[in-house]
Amino acid sequence: MQELVLNQPVSAARSELVREAQADARREFEERLAECGPLAFRVARGVLRNTADAEDVAQEALLRAYKSFDRLRDRNRFRAWLVRISFRLALDRLRSAKRREQRDTLWAKPAHQPAPITAEDVAASNQFQAHLDRALEELPEKLRLVLLLSAMDGYTIEEIASMMGVPLGTVKSRIFIARKKLAEKLRCHANTIKMR
Amino acid sequence: MPCEHYKDALMELAASGAAPQGQLAVHIAECASCREAFNIEQSLFADIDSRLQVAANAEVPASLLPRVRVALSQVPAPRFNWVRPVVLVSASLVLAFAILLIGRPRRTSPESVARQGSFGPATTTPTTTTNPEKSPLEGVQVAAHAAHSHAARNSTNLHVAASSNPEVLVPPDEREAFARLVAVLNERSDVAAALVAKAPQKDAVVTADPLRIPGIEIKPLEGTETESSDGAGDKR
Repeated sequence: MQELVLNQPVSAARSELVREAQADARREFEERLAECGPLAFRVARGVLRNTADAEDVAQEALLRAYKSFDRLRDRNRFRAWLVRISFRLALDRLRSAKRREQRDTLWAKPAHQPAPITAEDVAASNQFQAHLDRALEELPEKLRLVLLLSAMDGYTIEEIASMMGVPLGTVKSRIFIARKKLAEKLRCHANTIKMR
Repeated sequence: MPCEHYKDALMELAASGAAPQGQLAVHIAECASCREAFNIEQSLFADIDSRLQVAANAEVPASLLPRVRVALSQVPAPRFNWVRPVVLVSASLVLAFAILLIGRPRRTSPESVARQGSFGPATTTPTTTTNPEKSPLEGVQVAAHAAHSHAARNSTNLHVAASSNPEVLVPPDEREAFARLVAVLNERSDVAAALVAKAPQKDAVVTADPLRIPGIEIKPLEGTETESSDGAGDKR
């Protein structure tokens, strides 16, 4: 009886501490959410090129980050961590969407035909965009993520380097190599430099 | 089409986004085809960059953050994980205990001490007997040194054995030999007196003066010439 009387305040104090810690974690996460939510969305959008899918992926990435927030020792690495989660989730979704698309193409008749092309320029532009998307997909993941982040407004190369945890020179060389690879794949479609 | 010599340099320059410099700048100014190719290459990169920027800076839907907040409210707050620290602390305690056990000096049983003590003299015996060419003094010195080092090695064991008064185990053949010795000592009092007499200190190094041999005069044997000349001595 005496034990029960003594134990009750201890457990109440402990649960109070846990509640406070949880509230602190929630508050800290929500502060970061406003800053990092758009970043997660843009990374996903850069991979998926679809707003609805990117929104889903960003939400999932943020929820995962929240669930594992206590495991992150260095909170300053939160942005880099979230970027990686979003990027990986977006890649996973893209791959599964491709598999689904292949299955549908194989086993079902196309439900609708693509919209008729009205102008030659639009068609060429769309075609070029399709080639660019394919070339981006073929880039190695490291190059692709750095190129994506460098294309986003508001992030300098120094910030990208600290976000990725790599030296500044590495970021620069990755951007250079990625652009060069893209140009090599798109040159024939753009009908530019040819051998003499 | 650009000149073959400058083709790669033009591509590199366009990819880096820098302005042409030096010899390349002079060539671009002179060569119309290279200038045109460089412009096309630049426009290609500009097209790629602009498309990438459009894709990367897509407008964030206004519904994103409210959606995430609603989803967060449905998820239980992340709780502090107690398991990992508890496992770490207990593992380090076990490790410390194991190190303590390993580092502690070992205690040996009195039986093993007695057994080790009985083997002591046996190690010195072969040293003196198997090497007949060496002088006996040298053997004594080695035996004394061995006994000393053995005692130093087992100093803790001896201390333990003395403090607990162990039972000394003697092999049957040694017991028999000891009984014979006692019988001999009873019969011959001079041997007993010699045994009881104070022995020289074992730890002291016994030194002996170098052996001095007086000059030896070698005389020729009588009749060796006659024996050696005909070879009869060898045959005999």
